[in-house]
Amino acid sequence: MRTLSLQSKHQCTGKHKLIAVIICCLLAIPTSIAAAERSNCRQTGPLVFGILPYISAEQLVYRFSPLANYLSEKLQIPVRIETAPHFIEFARRTHEDQHYDILFTAPHLYTQASRKAGFRLIVSIDSPDMWAVIVVPKQSDIQTIEDLERKQLATVHPLGLSTLLVRKRLLDAGIDPDVDLNLVITPSHDASLLSAYHGVTDASALMLPTFEASSKRVQESMRIIARTEKSPLIPISVGPRISDSCASEITSVLLNIGTTPEGRAVLEHNKFNGFRKANPDAYEKLDELLFR
Amino acid sequence: MATSFFYSLRFRLIASVVTIEIVMLSLLVWNNITIIHTTHTDRLRDTASSMIQQIANTSGNYMVAVDYATLQDYLGNVMHYQELAYLVILDRDDAPVITLGLAPREARPVIDPHPDSVTDGVFDISSEILVAGQPMGTVLMGFSLSLMEEAIHKSRIRGISIAAAEILLTVVVTVLIGLGLTRRLGVLSNAAQEVGGGNYSVNIPVETADEVGRTATAFNRMVAEVSNRTLKLEEAETRTRQLLTENRQLAQTSLTAQEDERKHLARELHDELGQCITAIRADAKSIRSLSKECDARVDASASAILDVASRIYEVVHSMMQRLRPGVLYDLGLVEALKEEISAWQERNPDTKCIITVSGDLADLGERVNITVYRIVQECLTNITKYAHASRVTVDLSNTEDKLVLKTEDDGKGIDLSIMTDGLGIIGMRERVEALGGEFQLDTGPGKGVSIMVTIPLMNAGNDTIEYI
Repeated sequence: MRTLSLQSKHQCTGKHKLIAVIICCLLAIPTSIAAAERSNCRQTGPLVFGILPYISAEQLVYRFSPLANYLSEKLQIPVRIETAPHFIEFARRTHEDQHYDILFTAPHLYTQASRKAGFRLIVSIDSPDMWAVIVVPKQSDIQTIEDLERKQLATVHPLGLSTLLVRKRLLDAGIDPDVDLNLVITPSHDASLLSAYHGVTDASALMLPTFEASSKRVQESMRIIARTEKSPLIPISVGPRISDSCASEITSVLLNIGTTPEGRAVLEHNKFNGFRKANPDAYEKLDELLFR
Repeated sequence: MATSFFYSLRFRLIASVVTIEIVMLSLLVWNNITIIHTTHTDRLRDTASSMIQQIANTSGNYMVAVDYATLQDYLGNVMHYQELAYLVILDRDDAPVITLGLAPREARPVIDPHPDSVTDGVFDISSEILVAGQPMGTVLMGFSLSLMEEAIHKSRIRGISIAAAEILLTVVVTVLIGLGLTRRLGVLSNAAQEVGGGNYSVNIPVETADEVGRTATAFNRMVAEVSNRTLKLEEAETRTRQLLTENRQLAQTSLTAQEDERKHLARELHDELGQCITAIRADAKSIRSLSKECDARVDASASAILDVASRIYEVVHSMMQRLRPGVLYDLGLVEALKEEISAWQERNPDTKCIITVSGDLADLGERVNITVYRIVQECLTNITKYAHASRVTVDLSNTEDKLVLKTEDDGKGIDLSIMTDGLGIIGMRERVEALGGEFQLDTGPGKGVSIMVTIPLMNAGNDTIEYI
C-alpha cells in the first residue's frame, strides 16, 4: 500500500491529487499496523507444535488439536501438531534438529531442550495435580506401595517423568525398582494404564492428569495406592527459530486464552485450568531425577 | 407327398433346438462375462477402498509422529500386493513424503470413481489421512488393471469354451435324437401314406414303449380296424351293386313282360276281336245289300251295325297301335316317332311339335327303339295333360356310341318341390337305367320341361324282342 501511495504521489499533480494522496496515506496506516501485527509469526511460516509422545498419537491429536487450531486462528498462521515415535526420538528431534517451534514436553526434558537447543520457556500449564500415581485394579490385593514387591508395574519410557517420579517414590519406600519388582515399559501412559486395567500387569504408573483424562469406566475400575512428590508444571517453550516478538505473541495468546469462549472451550477440552507465567528456575531441580 | 428338406420335421426340430441352444447359451455366456467383469471390478474397487482406508488409518499415527521410515517399511509390505502399481503419501502440504512403485506424473492424478471408468490402465484412488478428525496428509494409490483384465480374459475364454463345448454336445445329441425320432415318425408317415393308398396290410414294428411306440401300436390297431371296416364296406357296396344290377334286370324283365303282355294283348285284339269285327262288318254289309230291296228298316239297322263295327275296329286298331306300334317294327324308330307325333299333332292342333333326328338310327336294337318310343309317347301324353305348351321339340341323335334323346316344351313346367317322380317319370327312368343309360329332368315353374336321355349303344343292336 505504501508503494501504491508513492506511485500515486508521483503521478498526480494539483491540489486535489495531493488531498487524495493524504487520504490514501491515512487509510494505509491502520492496514500497515495490522500487517505489522500479523508479521510477528507469519514470517516464521507454519509453526510446528511438538508434543511429547506421552500418549498415543491419535489421543494426542485429539487432545491438542483444539489448542493448535486456537493458536493458528489467533496467530493467523498454520500450527501443526507433530510428535515422535518415542521419547528418545522426540528428544533427538528437539535437541539436534530443533524441529519444533512450540514445545510441549515433560518438565524434566525441558531443561535439556533449553540447555542443548536454546528453547525458551514462555508459559506453563496451570495444573494442580502434577504428580505421578500408582494405580491398581479395585479388586486387587495390592493395598500399599510395599505390596508391589515381586509384582509387575507398567510404566512409560524410563525417561518419562512419571517413571522417574515413581522410581524415586519406590526408592524412598525402600523398594529397589530394578530388583524388587518388574518394571514393564509401555509405549504411552494410556498403554500403561490399560495394561493394569486388563490385568496384563499388576499395577500402572502414570501422571495423574493423564489418569484423570482417561475414560470414566477405566477410572472407576482402578484405585490409587500411591502418589509421588509434586512435579513442576508442564512447560510450554518456543524454539530458537521463533522470534521474540512471535514468542511474546504466543505467550500472550496462551495467557489470555481464558478470556474468550473459544479459549475456555479449549481449556475445558484439555482439562487445563489455564496457562501461567513460568519460572525457568523451578525446573532446574528435575535434573537430579534425570541423572539419578 | 414329398416334403422339402427345409420344411421337414427333422430339420425344423434340430434347427429349432440348436438355434435356441445357441441363443440361450450366448445370452448365458454374455451374462456370465458381465457378472465376471462386474465381480472383478467390484472386487478391485472394494479391495482398493479397504486397503486405502486401512492405510489411511494406520498412516495417521506415523504422520503425526513424522515416523516416515516405519511408515515406509509398513507400506513396503503393502506394496507386495500384486495389483498395486504405486502408493504415494502426501503430507499436509501435498508434498510427497513416501513414493513407492511407478508414481503418476501428476502430483495428484485424476481420481477414478470405479475401475470401469479407468482410461489409462491404472485405477487411481485417494484418501485423506485423518487423525482425530484432523487432516494429516493424503494417500494416493494406483491399482493396475492388467491382472484383473487377464483374469477376466481367462474367465471369458473359459466360459466361451464351455459354451462352445455344450453347443457342440447339444447339436450332436439333438441331431442323434432328432434323427432317431424323425426316422420313426417317418416310418409312421410312410405307413399312413400306404394306408391312404389303400394298403391295409401295413404293420409298423413297435421298437420302444415311448410315445412313438405307443403311437405305432395305436396306428396298427387303427389300420386293422379301418381294414376290417373297409372290407365290410366293400362287401356292402358289392352287394348293393349286385342288388342294383338285379333291380335293373328285374325292371328290364318287368318291362319286357309288359311289352310282351302288350304284344299278346294286341295279338288277341287283332286275332280275336279283329276277326269278329271283320265278320260283323261283312255280315252287316251282306244284310244291308240283301235288305236294301226288301226292307228299309233292316237296311238302316245293317248300316248302323256296320258303322258301330267300323268304330269298334278303329278303337281296337288304335289300341293295337298303342299296345304294339306296328310301324316301329315295320318302318323303324324314326318313322314310328313321326307317325306318333303326327297323330299327336292331329289331336293337339294348338301345339306345334317338331322332331329332328341325326345320325344313324337304323340298327339301334329293339330294346332301345321301344324304350325311346315309349319315352316320347309318355312325354307327349304328359304335355297333353299338364303342360299347356305351344311348342314341343323332340331331338334324337346318334353320336358315335350313344343315343341322345331330348324333349323340350315351353309349358308351365313342374314344381319338383311339390311333385317328384310322378307323371311316369319313374317308369321312364327305369326304362333308361335298365339299358345302362342316364335320365335327366330339368324343369321348374314357368320353365317348361326338358328331358334328356342318354343311352349307351354298346351291343344295342344284338338284342331282339319277339314281335307279333
